[in-house]
Amino acid sequence: MKKRRFARTVTRRDFIKGAAMGTLGLALYGKGGTALAGVEGGTSPFAAENPQSVVVLIRNEKAVGAGDKVDAAVVEEMIDTALKAFSGEAEAAKAWAKYVRADDTVGVKFTRCDWMRVHTEQAVIDAVVKRVGEAGVGKDRIHAQDGGLPFAKCTALINVPAVKVHTLTGIAVAMKNYINFSPAPSKYHAPATSLGEIFLLPDVKGKTRLVVVDFLRPYFGPGPQINPLHRWNYHGIMVSNDPVAVDSLCLSICQAKRNLFKGEPWPITPPPDFIAAAEKTYKLGTGDPAKIKLVKLGWEKDILI
Amino acid sequence: MKSILILNPGAALFVFLMGVSAAALTMAQTQKPDRDEILATFTIRRALPSEVEGWKAGREDQLFTRDDIFDYMDGGGEIYLAYDFQFVFVREYIREGAPSIVVEVYQMSSSEDAYGVFTHDPDGDEADLGQGAIYGAGLLRFWKDRVFVRIMADRETPEAKTVVMGLGQKITGAIPGDGEKPGLIKFLPEEDFKPKSLRYFHTLISLNAHYYLANVNILNLSPETRVAMARYEREGSQARVLLVEYPAVDRAVDAEGRFTEMFLLERFAADRKAEPKKLEDGKFAGVARNGRHLIIIIEADKKQDLEWLIRSISRNLEGSKP
Repeated sequence: MKKRRFARTVTRRDFIKGAAMGTLGLALYGKGGTALAGVEGGTSPFAAENPQSVVVLIRNEKAVGAGDKVDAAVVEEMIDTALKAFSGEAEAAKAWAKYVRADDTVGVKFTRCDWMRVHTEQAVIDAVVKRVGEAGVGKDRIHAQDGGLPFAKCTALINVPAVKVHTLTGIAVAMKNYINFSPAPSKYHAPATSLGEIFLLPDVKGKTRLVVVDFLRPYFGPGPQINPLHRWNYHGIMVSNDPVAVDSLCLSICQAKRNLFKGEPWPITPPPDFIAAAEKTYKLGTGDPAKIKLVKLGWEKDILI
Repeated sequence: MKSILILNPGAALFVFLMGVSAAALTMAQTQKPDRDEILATFTIRRALPSEVEGWKAGREDQLFTRDDIFDYMDGGGEIYLAYDFQFVFVREYIREGAPSIVVEVYQMSSSEDAYGVFTHDPDGDEADLGQGAIYGAGLLRFWKDRVFVRIMADRETPEAKTVVMGLGQKITGAIPGDGEKPGLIKFLPEEDFKPKSLRYFHTLISLNAHYYLANVNILNLSPETRVAMARYEREGSQARVLLVEYPAVDRAVDAEGRFTEMFLLERFAADRKAEPKKLEDGKFAGVARNGRHLIIIIEADKKQDLEWLIRSISRNLEGSKP
């Protein structure tokens, strides 16, 4: 019998060869001997000495209190501190001024998912909008929305996603947060390596100045609907200008939490291979853990990375 | 034909629509039910109280069908559409100063699919309700006959938990009969079976949600296929089983060939038994076919466990033949 030819087929075995079954979405990096080869060599991932991308993760035990109540003042301070660290500026105002100009029209793209109940906390949205306003952008030129955000007329976008493991895409953070900028979002509701192409749409390309991730109460379960047992209070905010690096890091943290929950490897599936494609095909940023530097600030307990 | 359990006797049209035989499983509906009429005749809705312990029915009751499920759960409806989902009834209970409680009743066209949806997420503690129930942190899920139910309190409190469980009781009371579990799962050995590991589904989207095999549909899964997936553990050694039932032998043979060549990376010959293969992670994978059933063992720590599972399932399949 003639052996069949199956072009472009990636199976679980390819990921096994990547030597990172614990994190399927990042395993493909191992095939090229990059990120996970680094791990084998004793170098920790997300600790690049000459990083292509930097991500700041700040955590504060007081960010989420009793009854899962989010402390807005603490969140605001966390975002400022993270942005100062990311920008290298000593003052919050100067830090924000690096990314937002007074003459900008700014879209603050958050995640609203009422039916699943995992969405960007209002405290995070409010803090970002407040600082954008203080940078001199008039209220009429700040559009904080999920669906219907007029991104075409925005000159700058701030990507403000929540964090959730997703039954259809693997993980939903910064990359997937722009899904409704596409005229055909449903085509990405499947294992889709092409998610990155949304960032190259003419009205989106090059506009993302910052990514501010609400990592306060992420979701690590299989979904699609929430199981409260799969939600945890991580008390974190993540800041970067690289949505790919952010997704790579969130994937690692959520994977660690899943393994902890089950007491054995519980790989996120389907593997979010759009992260590797966003780097390699769409050149949107850095997904390879060996090329990313994570700056950790604040509360270290149960940081999982 | 299965008995109709949740609609009142006057709803003849819906008796017809809901009485779809499990054997004639199809994802396409031949006739769209009218949502107002479903709401008006939905027995479970009538069984639910308008007020319970101070919680009152809030927004107007909602009903979503295959056509508009995405209006209710944008980006999440696919998992239900991967089963023969008919509609979901939604009611929210609200009480000032207390967590809201949302009741979702999913009507499937077969008890097999109600059970299948129930197996999607097994995390939680078993509860005594319906034909199988799980509760955890304010969320109750159970199945009974052709119905799958989710009742969730926004936040768990002792009082909210009591109300959630009470609403569950009301719903089970409105479903007089029980349904059959999928016949396919009876072929899986009970010995060394890992509790809560069983999943039952039809299509690739469900397989991907539980276990990633490839970026293409290696196993030729479709709404017409039935899949039972489970894990086994013998003396600390583990293995995973995928048992797939195809509508015809030729489709099973084709899938066997695809798995052999695309996953095992071996040349396939329908008349030759494939040997188990040790993969790059040191674990074993193998495939065997019995008529229109395909037995796939993956992630087996030991070759003998893989062989035992194939032998056991084959024996069960053979034993079911007339």
